[in-house]
Amino acid sequence: MATEKEASIEEQLASDLNITCETKRPRRLWASVDNQRLVKICKWAREHGFEHLSAISAVDWVEENSYELLYHLWSYEDKILLTLKTKIDRETPAINSVSPVWKESAQIHERELHELFGIAFAGNDDLAPLFLEDWQGPPPFRKDFNWREYVRSEYYDRENERERAYYD
Amino acid sequence: MTERTSASVPITTDEANLSEGSAYDFYFGPAHPGSGNFGVKLKIEGETVVSARADPGYLHRGFEKLMEYRTPLQNAVLSDRICVLEALNWNLIHAEAVEELMGIEPPERAKYIRVIMAELSRIQSHIIWYGAFCIGIGFDTGFKLAFGYRDYILDIFEAVTGGRVYPAGYICPGGVRRDFPPGLVKRITEVLDKVEKMVAVEALENPLLSARAKDIGILKLEDAIRLGATGPVLRASGMKADVRKDDSYEVYDRFDFDVPVRDEGDAYSRYVIGMEEIRQSARIVKQALEGLPEGEIIAPSLKKPKLTTKIPVGEVYVRNEVARGEAGMYMCSDGSGRPYRVKIRGPSFLHMIPVLEHLLIGAQIADVPAIYWSLNVCPADLDR
Repeated sequence: MATEKEASIEEQLASDLNITCETKRPRRLWASVDNQRLVKICKWAREHGFEHLSAISAVDWVEENSYELLYHLWSYEDKILLTLKTKIDRETPAINSVSPVWKESAQIHERELHELFGIAFAGNDDLAPLFLEDWQGPPPFRKDFNWREYVRSEYYDRENERERAYYD
Repeated sequence: MTERTSASVPITTDEANLSEGSAYDFYFGPAHPGSGNFGVKLKIEGETVVSARADPGYLHRGFEKLMEYRTPLQNAVLSDRICVLEALNWNLIHAEAVEELMGIEPPERAKYIRVIMAELSRIQSHIIWYGAFCIGIGFDTGFKLAFGYRDYILDIFEAVTGGRVYPAGYICPGGVRRDFPPGLVKRITEVLDKVEKMVAVEALENPLLSARAKDIGILKLEDAIRLGATGPVLRASGMKADVRKDDSYEVYDRFDFDVPVRDEGDAYSRYVIGMEEIRQSARIVKQALEGLPEGEIIAPSLKKPKLTTKIPVGEVYVRNEVARGEAGMYMCSDGSGRPYRVKIRGPSFLHMIPVLEHLLIGAQIADVPAIYWSLNVCPADLDR
Protein backbone atom coordinates (compact mmCIF):
# COMPACT_ATOMS: atom_id res chain seq x y z
CA MET A 1 0.00 0.00 0.00
CA ALA A 2 2.67 2.41 1.05
CA THR A 3 4.27 4.61 -1.57
CA GLU A 4 7.94 5.50 -1.71
CA LYS A 5 7.67 8.61 0.45
CA GLU A 6 5.81 6.82 3.20
CA ALA A 7 8.32 4.00 3.11
CA SER A 8 11.20 6.46 3.34
CA ILE A 9 9.68 8.23 6.36
CA GLU A 10 8.96 4.90 7.97
CA GLU A 11 12.57 3.91 7.42
CA GLN A 12 13.96 7.19 8.78
CA LEU A 13 11.76 6.98 11.88
CA ALA A 14 13.07 3.47 12.49
CA SER A 15 16.74 4.32 11.92
CA ASP A 16 16.85 7.77 13.60
CA LEU A 17 14.50 7.23 16.50
CA ASN A 18 13.86 3.49 16.66
CA ILE A 19 10.11 3.91 16.14
CA THR A 20 7.97 1.48 14.20
CA CYS A 21 4.99 2.96 12.46
CA GLU A 22 2.10 1.56 10.55
CA THR A 23 0.67 2.76 7.24
CA LYS A 24 -3.07 2.34 7.65
CA ARG A 25 -3.81 3.65 4.19
CA PRO A 26 -1.91 5.78 1.66
CA ARG A 27 -0.82 9.08 3.28
CA ARG A 28 -1.69 7.94 6.80
CA LEU A 29 1.13 6.92 9.14
CA TRP A 30 0.46 6.06 12.79
CA ALA A 31 3.10 5.58 15.45
CA SER A 32 3.00 4.97 19.18
CA VAL A 33 5.73 6.74 21.12
CA ASP A 34 6.87 7.00 24.72
CA ASN A 35 5.65 10.18 26.45
CA GLN A 36 9.16 11.02 27.72
CA ARG A 37 10.53 11.12 24.18
CA LEU A 38 7.61 12.96 22.63
CA VAL A 39 9.15 16.43 22.33
CA LYS A 40 12.35 15.04 20.85
CA ILE A 41 10.38 13.09 18.26
CA CYS A 42 8.23 16.14 17.49
CA LYS A 43 11.38 18.20 16.90
CA TRP A 44 12.60 15.54 14.51
CA ALA A 45 9.24 15.57 12.71
CA ARG A 46 9.25 19.37 12.42
CA GLU A 47 12.72 19.27 10.89
CA HIS A 48 11.66 16.56 8.46
CA GLY A 49 8.86 18.50 6.82
CA PHE A 50 5.94 18.10 9.23
CA GLU A 51 5.39 21.83 9.43
CA HIS A 52 1.68 21.76 10.14
CA LEU A 53 0.20 20.55 13.41
CA SER A 54 -3.29 19.74 12.26
CA ALA A 55 -4.72 18.94 15.69
CA ILE A 56 -4.05 17.38 19.07
CA SER A 57 -6.72 14.96 20.26
CA ALA A 58 -7.08 13.43 23.68
CA VAL A 59 -8.92 10.20 24.48
CA ASP A 60 -9.92 9.31 28.00
CA TRP A 61 -9.41 5.55 28.48
CA VAL A 62 -11.09 5.49 31.83
CA GLU A 63 -10.89 1.72 32.32
CA GLU A 64 -7.13 1.51 31.96
CA ASN A 65 -6.73 4.79 33.84
CA SER A 66 -4.85 6.67 31.15
CA TYR A 67 -5.19 9.50 28.70
CA GLU A 68 -4.09 9.01 25.14
CA LEU A 69 -2.80 12.06 23.30
CA LEU A 70 -2.69 12.09 19.51
CA TYR A 71 -0.66 14.61 17.51
CA HIS A 72 -1.80 14.80 13.90
CA LEU A 73 1.03 16.22 11.79
CA TRP A 74 0.87 17.12 8.13
CA SER A 75 3.76 17.54 5.78
CA TYR A 76 3.12 20.07 3.02
CA GLU A 77 6.12 18.75 1.15
CA ASP A 78 5.57 14.99 1.29
CA LYS A 79 1.79 15.23 1.65
CA ILE A 80 1.64 12.69 4.44
CA LEU A 81 -0.25 12.73 7.72
CA LEU A 82 1.74 11.33 10.63
CA THR A 83 -0.12 10.67 13.87
CA LEU A 84 1.97 10.28 17.00
CA LYS A 85 0.20 8.58 19.87
CA THR A 86 1.32 8.63 23.46
CA LYS A 87 -0.23 7.65 26.78
CA ILE A 88 -0.05 9.51 30.06
CA ASP A 89 -1.33 8.84 33.54
CA ARG A 90 -4.93 9.87 34.15
CA GLU A 91 -4.69 10.75 37.83
CA THR A 92 -2.04 13.45 37.43
CA PRO A 93 -2.16 14.13 33.70
CA ALA A 94 0.96 16.02 32.67
CA ILE A 95 3.21 16.09 29.63
CA ASN A 96 5.83 18.36 28.13
CA SER A 97 4.42 20.98 25.79
CA VAL A 98 5.19 20.88 22.08
CA SER A 99 4.69 24.64 21.80
CA PRO A 100 8.47 25.20 21.43
CA VAL A 101 8.18 23.14 18.23
CA TRP A 102 4.99 24.38 16.59
CA LYS A 103 4.64 27.67 18.51
CA GLU A 104 1.19 29.28 18.64
CA SER A 105 -0.62 26.58 16.71
CA ALA A 106 0.41 23.98 19.31
CA GLN A 107 -0.15 26.38 22.15
CA ILE A 108 -3.82 26.88 21.38
CA HIS A 109 -4.59 23.17 20.96
CA GLU A 110 -2.95 22.49 24.32
CA ARG A 111 -4.89 25.29 25.93
CA GLU A 112 -8.13 23.66 24.79
CA LEU A 113 -7.13 20.24 26.12
CA HIS A 114 -6.05 21.76 29.41
CA GLU A 115 -9.52 23.17 29.88
CA LEU A 116 -11.54 20.19 28.66
CA PHE A 117 -9.43 17.33 30.06
CA GLY A 118 -7.37 18.98 32.77
CA ILE A 119 -4.02 18.01 31.23
CA ALA A 120 -1.06 20.10 32.37
CA PHE A 121 1.38 20.98 29.60
CA ALA A 122 4.76 21.85 31.07
CA GLY A 123 6.34 24.67 29.13
CA ASN A 124 3.13 26.16 27.76
CA ASP A 125 2.91 29.65 29.23
CA ASP A 126 -0.73 30.36 28.42
CA LEU A 127 -3.21 27.76 29.63
CA ALA A 128 -5.98 30.23 30.50
CA PRO A 129 -9.57 28.99 30.22
CA LEU A 130 -10.84 29.16 26.67
CA PHE A 131 -14.50 28.26 26.12
CA LEU A 132 -16.03 27.88 29.56
CA GLU A 133 -16.82 30.96 31.54
CA ASP A 134 -16.84 30.78 35.33
CA TRP A 135 -16.49 27.00 35.22
CA GLN A 136 -16.13 25.48 38.68
CA GLY A 137 -16.74 21.79 37.92
CA PRO A 138 -14.32 19.03 36.92
CA PRO A 139 -12.87 18.95 33.37
CA PRO A 140 -16.07 18.33 31.41
CA PHE A 141 -14.76 16.03 28.66
CA ARG A 142 -13.59 13.33 31.06
CA LYS A 143 -15.55 10.14 30.63
CA ASP A 144 -16.56 9.99 34.28
CA PHE A 145 -18.06 13.47 34.19
CA ASN A 146 -21.82 13.00 34.02
CA TRP A 147 -23.09 16.19 32.48
CA ARG A 148 -26.75 15.25 32.89
CA GLU A 149 -26.24 14.86 36.63
CA TYR A 150 -24.19 18.04 36.81
CA VAL A 151 -26.83 20.12 35.00
CA ARG A 152 -29.55 18.73 37.26
CA SER A 153 -27.71 19.54 40.43
CA GLU A 154 -26.38 22.92 39.33
CA TYR A 155 -29.12 24.44 37.26
CA TYR A 156 -32.46 22.80 38.14
CA ASP A 157 -34.58 23.01 41.23
CA ARG A 158 -36.53 19.97 42.44
CA GLU A 159 -38.97 22.18 44.30
CA ASN A 160 -39.79 24.15 41.16
CA GLU A 161 -42.87 22.65 39.54
CA ARG A 162 -41.69 23.25 35.99
CA GLU A 163 -38.24 21.79 36.56
CA ARG A 164 -39.26 18.76 38.61
CA ALA A 165 -39.60 16.66 35.46
CA TYR A 166 -35.82 16.66 35.00
CA TYR A 167 -35.42 14.59 38.14
CA ASP A 168 -37.82 11.74 37.37
CA MET B 1 -20.93 43.23 36.80
CA THR B 2 -19.52 39.99 38.15
CA GLU B 3 -15.87 39.30 37.89
CA ARG B 4 -14.98 37.25 34.83
CA THR B 5 -12.68 34.55 36.07
CA SER B 6 -12.19 33.00 32.66
CA ALA B 7 -10.80 36.14 31.11
CA SER B 8 -7.14 36.64 31.71
CA VAL B 9 -7.40 40.23 30.48
CA PRO B 10 -9.97 42.13 32.51
CA ILE B 11 -12.40 44.27 30.58
CA THR B 12 -11.95 47.45 32.53
CA THR B 13 -8.54 48.31 33.83
CA ASP B 14 -9.04 51.70 35.37
CA GLU B 15 -5.54 52.08 36.70
CA ALA B 16 -4.00 51.19 33.37
CA ASN B 17 -6.26 53.69 31.63
CA LEU B 18 -5.24 56.46 33.96
CA SER B 19 -1.55 55.81 33.67
CA GLU B 20 -1.47 55.42 29.90
CA GLY B 21 -3.55 58.46 29.10
CA SER B 22 -5.24 57.77 25.79
CA ALA B 23 -5.33 53.95 25.98
CA TYR B 24 -8.68 52.29 26.43
CA ASP B 25 -10.23 48.83 26.28
CA PHE B 26 -12.67 47.94 23.58
CA TYR B 27 -14.73 44.78 23.34
CA PHE B 28 -15.41 43.79 19.73
CA GLY B 29 -18.34 41.35 19.94
CA PRO B 30 -19.75 38.91 20.94
CA ALA B 31 -23.21 40.19 19.99
CA HIS B 32 -22.00 42.81 17.55
CA PRO B 33 -23.56 42.50 14.08
CA GLY B 34 -20.11 42.72 12.56
CA SER B 35 -18.50 39.94 14.57
CA GLY B 36 -20.79 36.93 14.74
CA ASN B 37 -21.01 35.11 18.04
CA PHE B 38 -17.47 35.83 19.04
CA GLY B 39 -15.60 38.51 20.91
CA VAL B 40 -12.14 40.04 20.82
CA LYS B 41 -10.85 42.19 23.64
CA LEU B 42 -8.85 45.01 22.19
CA LYS B 43 -6.65 47.57 23.84
CA ILE B 44 -6.51 50.72 21.82
CA GLU B 45 -4.21 53.68 21.94
CA GLY B 46 -5.42 56.58 19.86
CA GLU B 47 -6.63 54.76 16.74
CA THR B 48 -4.22 51.83 16.90
CA VAL B 49 -4.81 48.40 18.40
CA VAL B 50 -1.98 47.61 20.80
CA SER B 51 -3.16 44.26 22.10
CA ALA B 52 -5.83 41.76 21.13
CA ARG B 53 -7.15 38.78 23.04
CA ALA B 54 -9.75 36.47 21.50
CA ASP B 55 -12.57 35.47 23.83
CA PRO B 56 -14.32 32.38 22.39
CA GLY B 57 -17.01 30.31 24.04
CA TYR B 58 -20.15 32.31 23.29
CA LEU B 59 -21.35 29.50 21.01
CA HIS B 60 -19.75 26.50 22.73
CA ARG B 61 -22.13 23.54 22.53
CA GLY B 62 -19.78 20.67 23.27
CA PHE B 63 -20.48 18.64 20.11
CA GLU B 64 -17.50 16.39 20.71
CA LYS B 65 -19.03 15.26 24.00
CA LEU B 66 -22.58 15.11 22.62
CA MET B 67 -21.46 12.80 19.83
CA GLU B 68 -20.17 10.26 22.36
CA TYR B 69 -23.76 9.75 23.51
CA ARG B 70 -25.29 9.33 20.06
CA THR B 71 -25.29 6.85 17.18
CA PRO B 72 -23.80 7.76 13.78
CA LEU B 73 -27.33 8.14 12.48
CA GLN B 74 -28.00 10.90 15.00
CA ASN B 75 -24.52 12.37 14.73
CA ALA B 76 -25.00 12.88 10.98
CA VAL B 77 -27.78 15.33 11.84
CA LEU B 78 -25.72 16.88 14.61
CA SER B 79 -22.77 17.41 12.26
CA ASP B 80 -24.83 19.96 10.29
CA ARG B 81 -24.56 22.34 13.16
CA ILE B 82 -20.78 22.36 13.44
CA CYS B 83 -20.74 25.23 10.99
CA VAL B 84 -24.00 26.90 10.06
CA LEU B 85 -22.64 28.34 6.85
CA GLU B 86 -21.33 25.12 5.33
CA ALA B 87 -23.40 22.35 6.86
CA LEU B 88 -23.00 19.94 3.93
CA ASN B 89 -19.21 19.98 4.12
CA TRP B 90 -19.31 18.97 7.76
CA ASN B 91 -21.89 16.29 6.97
CA LEU B 92 -19.39 14.90 4.52
CA ILE B 93 -16.51 14.77 7.00
CA HIS B 94 -18.60 12.94 9.56
CA ALA B 95 -19.82 10.45 6.96
CA GLU B 96 -16.26 9.80 5.75
CA ALA B 97 -15.00 9.17 9.27
CA VAL B 98 -17.73 6.61 9.99
CA GLU B 99 -17.28 4.94 6.61
CA GLU B 100 -13.55 4.58 7.07
CA LEU B 101 -14.06 2.97 10.47
CA MET B 102 -16.72 0.62 9.11
CA GLY B 103 -14.81 -0.12 5.91
CA ILE B 104 -17.70 0.89 3.68
CA GLU B 105 -17.27 2.33 0.21
CA PRO B 106 -20.15 4.54 -0.97
CA PRO B 107 -21.43 3.97 -4.53
CA GLU B 108 -20.03 6.03 -7.42
CA ARG B 109 -23.15 8.09 -7.91
CA ALA B 110 -23.20 9.03 -4.23
CA LYS B 111 -19.59 10.22 -4.47
CA TYR B 112 -20.43 12.49 -7.39
CA ILE B 113 -23.52 13.84 -5.65
CA ARG B 114 -21.42 14.51 -2.56
CA VAL B 115 -18.86 16.47 -4.54
CA ILE B 116 -21.58 18.51 -6.26
CA MET B 117 -23.29 19.33 -2.98
CA ALA B 118 -20.04 20.07 -1.15
CA GLU B 119 -18.90 22.44 -3.89
CA LEU B 120 -22.27 24.21 -4.03
CA SER B 121 -21.99 24.57 -0.28
CA ARG B 122 -18.52 26.06 -0.70
CA ILE B 123 -19.86 28.52 -3.29
CA GLN B 124 -22.68 29.73 -1.05
CA SER B 125 -20.27 29.99 1.87
CA HIS B 126 -17.89 32.11 -0.21
CA ILE B 127 -20.81 34.30 -1.27
CA ILE B 128 -21.48 34.92 2.41
CA TRP B 129 -17.79 35.75 2.71
CA TYR B 130 -18.29 38.45 0.11
CA GLY B 131 -21.35 39.74 1.98
CA ALA B 132 -19.71 39.71 5.38
CA PHE B 133 -16.57 41.34 4.03
CA CYS B 134 -18.71 44.10 2.54
CA ILE B 135 -20.46 44.73 5.83
CA GLY B 136 -17.06 44.73 7.51
CA ILE B 137 -16.04 47.75 5.46
CA GLY B 138 -19.44 49.42 5.69
CA PHE B 139 -20.78 48.55 2.22
CA ASP B 140 -24.27 47.30 2.99
CA THR B 141 -25.38 46.86 -0.61
CA GLY B 142 -22.85 44.08 -1.11
CA PHE B 143 -24.19 42.28 1.92
CA LYS B 144 -27.74 42.30 0.62
CA LEU B 145 -26.64 41.31 -2.86
CA ALA B 146 -24.69 38.37 -1.47
CA PHE B 147 -27.56 37.03 0.55
CA GLY B 148 -29.87 37.38 -2.42
CA TYR B 149 -27.59 35.33 -4.66
CA ARG B 150 -26.95 32.79 -1.93
CA ASP B 151 -30.68 32.09 -1.87
CA TYR B 152 -30.54 30.72 -5.42
CA ILE B 153 -28.22 28.01 -4.11
CA LEU B 154 -30.36 27.46 -1.04
CA ASP B 155 -33.28 26.79 -3.41
CA ILE B 156 -31.25 23.92 -4.86
CA PHE B 157 -30.46 22.64 -1.38
CA GLU B 158 -34.14 22.73 -0.53
CA ALA B 159 -35.04 20.76 -3.66
CA VAL B 160 -32.41 18.10 -2.94
CA THR B 161 -32.18 17.80 0.84
CA GLY B 162 -35.45 19.30 2.03
CA GLY B 163 -33.66 21.88 4.14
CA ARG B 164 -32.38 25.24 3.03
CA VAL B 165 -29.59 25.83 5.54
CA TYR B 166 -29.47 22.57 7.48
CA PRO B 167 -29.63 19.44 5.32
CA ALA B 168 -30.45 17.23 8.37
CA GLY B 169 -27.73 14.72 7.69
CA TYR B 170 -28.29 14.52 3.92
CA ILE B 171 -24.77 13.21 3.40
CA CYS B 172 -24.96 10.22 5.72
CA PRO B 173 -22.61 7.29 6.35
CA GLY B 174 -22.82 5.05 3.28
CA GLY B 175 -23.87 7.62 0.70
CA VAL B 176 -26.57 10.27 0.47
CA ARG B 177 -30.17 10.13 1.59
CA ARG B 178 -32.03 11.12 -1.56
CA ASP B 179 -31.36 11.21 -5.27
CA PHE B 180 -31.52 14.39 -7.34
CA PRO B 181 -35.07 15.37 -8.35
CA PRO B 182 -35.79 15.58 -12.10
CA GLY B 183 -34.66 18.74 -13.87
CA LEU B 184 -32.09 19.62 -11.22
CA VAL B 185 -29.04 19.55 -13.50
CA LYS B 186 -30.45 22.36 -15.65
CA ARG B 187 -31.32 24.39 -12.56
CA ILE B 188 -27.83 24.07 -11.10
CA THR B 189 -26.25 25.18 -14.39
CA GLU B 190 -28.51 28.24 -14.54
CA VAL B 191 -27.76 29.22 -10.96
CA LEU B 192 -24.02 28.81 -11.48
CA ASP B 193 -24.13 31.12 -14.50
CA LYS B 194 -25.91 33.77 -12.45
CA VAL B 195 -23.50 33.46 -9.55
CA GLU B 196 -20.40 33.58 -11.74
CA LYS B 197 -21.65 36.72 -13.42
CA MET B 198 -22.31 38.34 -10.05
CA VAL B 199 -18.84 37.47 -8.79
CA ALA B 200 -17.13 38.76 -11.91
CA VAL B 201 -19.00 42.06 -11.99
CA GLU B 202 -19.82 42.92 -8.41
CA ALA B 203 -17.22 41.20 -6.32
CA LEU B 204 -14.06 41.45 -8.38
CA GLU B 205 -14.53 44.67 -10.31
CA ASN B 206 -15.60 46.80 -7.39
CA PRO B 207 -12.89 49.45 -6.83
CA LEU B 208 -14.26 50.18 -3.37
CA LEU B 209 -13.17 46.82 -2.00
CA SER B 210 -9.63 46.96 -3.30
CA ALA B 211 -9.17 50.58 -2.19
CA ARG B 212 -10.36 49.73 1.29
CA ALA B 213 -8.76 46.34 1.92
CA LYS B 214 -5.40 46.43 0.15
CA ASP B 215 -2.29 46.37 2.36
CA ILE B 216 -4.12 45.80 5.64
CA GLY B 217 -3.76 42.73 7.81
CA ILE B 218 -0.68 41.36 6.07
CA LEU B 219 0.13 37.77 6.99
CA LYS B 220 3.59 36.59 5.97
CA LEU B 221 4.04 32.99 4.91
CA GLU B 222 6.27 31.94 7.81
CA ASP B 223 3.79 33.49 10.25
CA ALA B 224 0.91 31.75 8.51
CA ILE B 225 2.54 28.34 8.96
CA ARG B 226 3.58 29.04 12.53
CA LEU B 227 0.07 30.22 13.49
CA GLY B 228 -1.58 27.21 11.87
CA ALA B 229 -3.40 28.99 9.02
CA THR B 230 -4.90 26.76 6.33
CA GLY B 231 -7.10 27.07 3.27
CA PRO B 232 -7.64 30.43 1.56
CA VAL B 233 -5.75 32.28 4.31
CA LEU B 234 -2.61 30.19 3.76
CA ARG B 235 -2.97 30.33 -0.03
CA ALA B 236 -3.21 34.12 0.04
CA SER B 237 0.16 34.13 1.80
CA GLY B 238 1.81 32.20 -1.00
CA MET B 239 1.51 28.50 -0.12
CA LYS B 240 -0.12 26.23 -2.67
CA ALA B 241 -1.87 23.76 -0.39
CA ASP B 242 -5.34 22.36 -0.84
CA VAL B 243 -6.57 19.15 0.79
CA ARG B 244 -8.65 18.37 -2.31
CA LYS B 245 -5.45 18.20 -4.39
CA ASP B 246 -2.86 17.05 -1.85
CA ASP B 247 -4.89 14.51 0.10
CA SER B 248 -7.69 13.82 -2.31
CA TYR B 249 -10.94 12.40 -0.99
CA GLU B 250 -14.19 11.32 -2.67
CA VAL B 251 -13.61 11.79 -6.42
CA TYR B 252 -11.83 15.16 -6.48
CA ASP B 253 -8.81 13.68 -8.27
CA ARG B 254 -10.94 13.12 -11.38
CA PHE B 255 -11.71 16.80 -11.92
CA ASP B 256 -9.68 19.52 -13.49
CA PHE B 257 -9.47 22.65 -11.32
CA ASP B 258 -6.88 25.19 -10.25
CA VAL B 259 -5.81 26.21 -6.77
CA PRO B 260 -5.57 30.02 -6.75
CA VAL B 261 -2.51 31.36 -4.91
CA ARG B 262 -1.36 34.92 -4.22
CA ASP B 263 1.72 36.30 -2.53
CA GLU B 264 0.55 39.54 -0.91
CA GLY B 265 -1.05 38.01 2.17
CA ASP B 266 -3.22 41.07 2.81
CA ALA B 267 -6.95 41.22 3.47
CA TYR B 268 -7.79 41.93 -0.16
CA SER B 269 -5.78 39.02 -1.53
CA ARG B 270 -7.50 36.61 0.88
CA TYR B 271 -10.84 37.86 -0.33
CA VAL B 272 -9.84 37.60 -3.99
CA ILE B 273 -8.73 34.00 -3.43
CA GLY B 274 -12.22 33.29 -2.12
CA MET B 275 -13.87 34.81 -5.17
CA GLU B 276 -11.53 32.88 -7.49
CA GLU B 277 -12.48 29.70 -5.67
CA ILE B 278 -16.13 30.27 -6.53
CA ARG B 279 -15.16 29.99 -10.20
CA GLN B 280 -13.09 26.88 -9.58
CA SER B 281 -15.88 25.26 -7.60
CA ALA B 282 -18.30 26.04 -10.41
CA ARG B 283 -15.89 24.26 -12.77
CA ILE B 284 -15.88 21.19 -10.54
CA VAL B 285 -19.68 21.14 -10.28
CA LYS B 286 -20.05 21.37 -14.06
CA GLN B 287 -17.60 18.51 -14.64
CA ALA B 288 -19.29 16.39 -11.97
CA LEU B 289 -22.72 17.02 -13.49
CA GLU B 290 -21.40 15.91 -16.87
CA GLY B 291 -19.85 12.75 -15.51
CA LEU B 292 -22.63 11.91 -13.05
CA PRO B 293 -23.00 8.11 -13.26
CA GLU B 294 -26.24 6.18 -12.82
CA GLY B 295 -26.74 3.74 -9.99
CA GLU B 296 -27.31 3.37 -6.29
CA ILE B 297 -26.94 6.33 -3.94
CA ILE B 298 -26.26 4.49 -0.69
CA ALA B 299 -24.20 1.43 0.23
CA PRO B 300 -26.44 -1.68 0.44
CA SER B 301 -25.50 -2.49 4.05
CA LEU B 302 -26.62 0.94 5.24
CA LYS B 303 -29.65 1.28 3.01
CA LYS B 304 -31.97 0.64 5.91
CA PRO B 305 -30.13 2.17 8.85
CA LYS B 306 -30.59 0.26 12.09
CA LEU B 307 -30.04 1.55 15.57
CA THR B 308 -28.13 -1.62 16.38
CA THR B 309 -25.40 -0.88 13.80
CA LYS B 310 -22.01 -1.26 15.49
CA ILE B 311 -18.87 0.70 14.64
CA PRO B 312 -15.85 -1.64 14.56
CA VAL B 313 -12.96 -0.96 16.95
CA GLY B 314 -10.51 1.46 15.47
CA GLU B 315 -9.51 5.05 15.04
CA VAL B 316 -9.33 7.38 12.08
CA TYR B 317 -8.41 10.95 11.25
CA VAL B 318 -10.05 12.38 8.13
CA ARG B 319 -9.18 15.70 6.56
CA ASN B 320 -11.29 17.71 4.16
CA GLU B 321 -11.02 21.09 2.53
CA VAL B 322 -14.03 23.11 3.65
CA ALA B 323 -14.64 26.68 2.54
CA ARG B 324 -12.62 28.08 5.45
CA GLY B 325 -9.63 25.80 5.27
CA GLU B 326 -8.59 22.42 6.58
CA ALA B 327 -11.21 20.55 8.58
CA GLY B 328 -10.41 17.37 10.43
CA MET B 329 -12.27 14.78 12.40
CA TYR B 330 -10.69 12.21 14.67
CA MET B 331 -13.02 9.37 15.54
CA CYS B 332 -12.27 6.47 17.84
CA SER B 333 -14.54 3.52 18.49
CA ASP B 334 -14.50 0.81 21.15
CA GLY B 335 -16.83 -1.44 19.19
CA SER B 336 -20.16 -0.17 20.49
CA GLY B 337 -22.79 1.61 18.46
CA ARG B 338 -21.54 5.04 19.50
CA PRO B 339 -18.16 6.64 18.88
CA TYR B 340 -15.93 6.52 21.96
CA ARG B 341 -14.41 9.91 21.21
CA VAL B 342 -14.78 12.48 18.47
CA LYS B 343 -12.40 15.38 17.99
CA ILE B 344 -13.40 18.09 15.57
CA ARG B 345 -10.73 20.32 14.09
CA GLY B 346 -12.26 23.44 12.66
CA PRO B 347 -10.20 25.81 10.53
CA SER B 348 -11.59 28.85 12.36
CA PHE B 349 -10.11 27.61 15.64
CA LEU B 350 -6.70 28.64 14.38
CA HIS B 351 -7.85 31.55 12.22
CA MET B 352 -9.82 33.25 14.95
CA ILE B 353 -7.42 32.90 17.85
CA PRO B 354 -3.71 32.91 16.92
CA VAL B 355 -4.02 34.38 13.42
CA LEU B 356 -6.54 37.06 14.32
CA GLU B 357 -4.66 38.14 17.45
CA HIS B 358 -1.47 38.38 15.40
CA LEU B 359 -3.07 40.43 12.61
CA LEU B 360 -4.96 42.86 14.81
CA ILE B 361 -1.93 44.12 16.71
CA GLY B 362 -0.88 47.37 15.10
CA ALA B 363 -4.03 47.64 12.98
CA GLN B 364 -6.22 50.72 12.85
CA ILE B 365 -9.49 50.36 14.72
CA ALA B 366 -11.50 51.03 11.54
CA ASP B 367 -9.73 48.10 9.86
CA VAL B 368 -10.62 45.58 12.57
CA PRO B 369 -13.87 44.35 10.93
CA ALA B 370 -12.23 44.24 7.50
CA ILE B 371 -9.35 42.11 8.78
CA TYR B 372 -11.73 39.97 10.80
CA TRP B 373 -13.92 39.13 7.81
CA SER B 374 -11.03 38.74 5.41
CA LEU B 375 -10.24 35.56 7.37
CA ASN B 376 -13.65 34.12 6.43
CA VAL B 377 -14.31 33.13 10.00
CA CYS B 378 -17.10 31.02 11.45
CA PRO B 379 -17.49 31.16 15.24
CA ALA B 380 -19.55 27.97 15.10
CA ASP B 381 -16.71 25.71 13.98
CA LEU B 382 -14.35 27.39 16.41
CA ASP B 383 -16.58 26.85 19.44
CA ARG B 384 -18.13 23.57 18.27
